[in-house]
Formats: sequence, structure tokens, C-alpha cells
Amino acid sequence: MAVRILLVDDHPIVRQGLRTLLEGRSGWEVVGEASDGIEALDKVEALRPDIVVLDVTMPRMNGLEACRLIQKRQTGASLEVLFVTQHDSPQMMREALDAGARGYVVKSNAARDLLEAVEAVSQHRVFTALTRIPHASC
Amino acid sequence: MKLRILLADDHEIVRRGLCSLLQKHEGWEVCGEASDGRVAVEMAKQLKPDVVIVDIGMPYLNGLDATRQLLQHDPHFKVIVLTITDSDQVIREALDAGARGFVLKSDAARDLVAAVEALQSKRMFFTPRVNDLVLAGFLEKGHAVSRSAPPDLPTLTAREREVTQLLAEGKSSKEVAVLLNLSTKTVETHRSNIMRKLSLHSIRDLVVYAIKNNIIQIQMPQLRDTPETTVA
Repeated sequence: MAVRILLVDDHPIVRQGLRTLLEGRSGWEVVGEASDGIEALDKVEALRPDIVVLDVTMPRMNGLEACRLIQKRQTGASLEVLFVTQHDSPQMMREALDAGARGYVVKSNAARDLLEAVEAVSQHRVFTALTRIPHASC
Repeated sequence: MKLRILLADDHEIVRRGLCSLLQKHEGWEVCGEASDGRVAVEMAKQLKPDVVIVDIGMPYLNGLDATRQLLQHDPHFKVIVLTITDSDQVIREALDAGARGFVLKSDAARDLVAAVEALQSKRMFFTPRVNDLVLAGFLEKGHAVSRSAPPDLPTLTAREREVTQLLAEGKSSKEVAVLLNLSTKTVETHRSNIMRKLSLHSIRDLVVYAIKNNIIQIQMPQLRDTPETTVA
């Protein structure tokens, strides 16, 4: 069964780039897109994705808040959140993991790290990768 | 014959999105991709694309200075500038650099195809805000928006602006020398000329100048306040 992915970013061109990257992989399906945290919550409810790929800085509701609410509302344990963000700092990564995310990828390296991150997160493993510190995956 | 487009953006994920958008258009092809302004200028000289799309905030050489270098090399280049902000200063600098198109990154999925189509038809493409600014300049001054750059910009030469960007990005004089194929001594001379011309006293001052004048761009890691009560 395909891994169902929801893409959340306020820039449509970034969503398009992420989609292009993810759709090349068999067994993964991008089931929807959202442009802010509030829309993401609605789409999670309606589409029941396995993974939410989430930006941090977005209008109306940021990704951290959306992540907290997604975790609070989910009944099963299957849904995972993976952040793809421009924030390349250990502090932000810590906040994201504290909010319940399973993965954290910096946008400038998304083309390099995203596939590996989705693979890890789909198996409920933590994946984090900043550009300023050595690549770390566990 | 296909319209050939060169893309320059430091984020590969954005280039993928742009590429996917543009290649859906029949008769267009992305002939090259560059991840910084210096590579973009070199690729454009080699590939001679019909349209060059440059992001403003790129490392080594920003999109505005890349546009200036391209048009200095060949005034026939048609450049569309991609930007995260349409502040008056950025608009003026883009027009001054010679860009024929100006598209906000957030609206690229909607506007970029129209912008390329406009340039293909030998027209320009600007956001409504750019049009307003140009019109306001025309009405106020009796001519189009001033071609002069902001007050403290013309004092630097193109080479000094390049050196400014690289120093502001944290590179040493030696590293700048290697990147620009100059001697370290020449870079040091540029550096002291820049500091003197701009009355700056430290690298910190230089970084602030570079940010204020869009030579480098930074995005602040501030989050919008979105209390939980905003959703039921």
C-alpha cells in the first residue's frame, strides 16, 4: 500500500518542487497540498495521510502549532510529521521535535535529504539533518 | 524553435518547481540551471538563453548584480527577477539593473508563465505594485521611475559590490581572491576602498550595509503568532 503524503507550504512553487521530487518514487503518493497550518489540519482530517511534510513559517498558523494540533488530535499512532524548512538551527529543530515531529530537513538541502527522510519517517524512525552540523540519521 | 530558459536559484527544490512549471509549456525548454549568480552569468554567456530567470537572494553574486553583469556583457539578455519582497528599493534596483520582468516568488506559480510569455512577445512583466510605483514616479516627476539607484549605491563599482557580497557572506580576503581570480592584495585594496567610501569601520558594519542594500538577503527566523484558539 502506498505511503500517502500531504504537502504543506505557503509557496506553491515549493510544493511543486517537493511534489516533483516525491512523485518520482514508486510506493509514495502525494494525496494533497495545503498552504498554511489551518488548511493542513483540515486536509489531515479529510485525507488521512501517513506523512505530513510541513513548513515552519506560514501565514494564519505556523507549522509548529499545526504539528502540535495534529499530534493532539490524532487517535492512531501512524501519522508522522516531517518538517522541511529554511530554519537551519538546532534550536528550531529541537522545537519541531518537541512539537511531535519525527523528521527535520533544511529546505536548501531538501533535494538531497528529503527522500531519505521520508523513507525513515515512513518507518517511524527519526531523521534530522541540518547543514551546519554533520548529517545525522537514526 | 524552442524558447530556451536559464534558471538561477540557490534552492534546488525551488528550481525543480520552476522547471516543472515551465516545461509544461509547449515550446519552452529549461536549457540550464544555476545555483548562484556567478554560475548563472557564466552559463548565460555560454548557453545564450532567450530568457534568464534569476532569484535575487543568491550566494556569491546576488541576482541584481548578476543581471547587471549579464546586461553589461550583452544588452539583449532578457532577465526576469524573482524576489521574496517587492519593497520600493528592490523594485527600483531591479529596474535599474535592467530586469524586464519582476515576479514575487510567492506568486511564481501564477505569474511566471505570464512573465515569460510577455518577454517572448517583447513586452515587460511587472507586479501591480511595480506598475503603481512606475506610474507614481511618472506622475510625480513627469517621467518614469528614477533610474538612479538609492543614494549610497552608486559609490561602489560592480567589482566592489561583488567583493562586498563575498565579505558580507563571511569569506576572508584570501577566499575572495580565489573566487574572483584576483590577488589577495587587490582584494585588500578593494576592501579598504569600500570601507572608506561607505564610512564603515568593521565587517559588522559591512554586513549591515549589505543587508540594507539588498546585496545579501536574510530571512529572520520569526514565527507568526498563531494561538491555538484560532482554530476550533
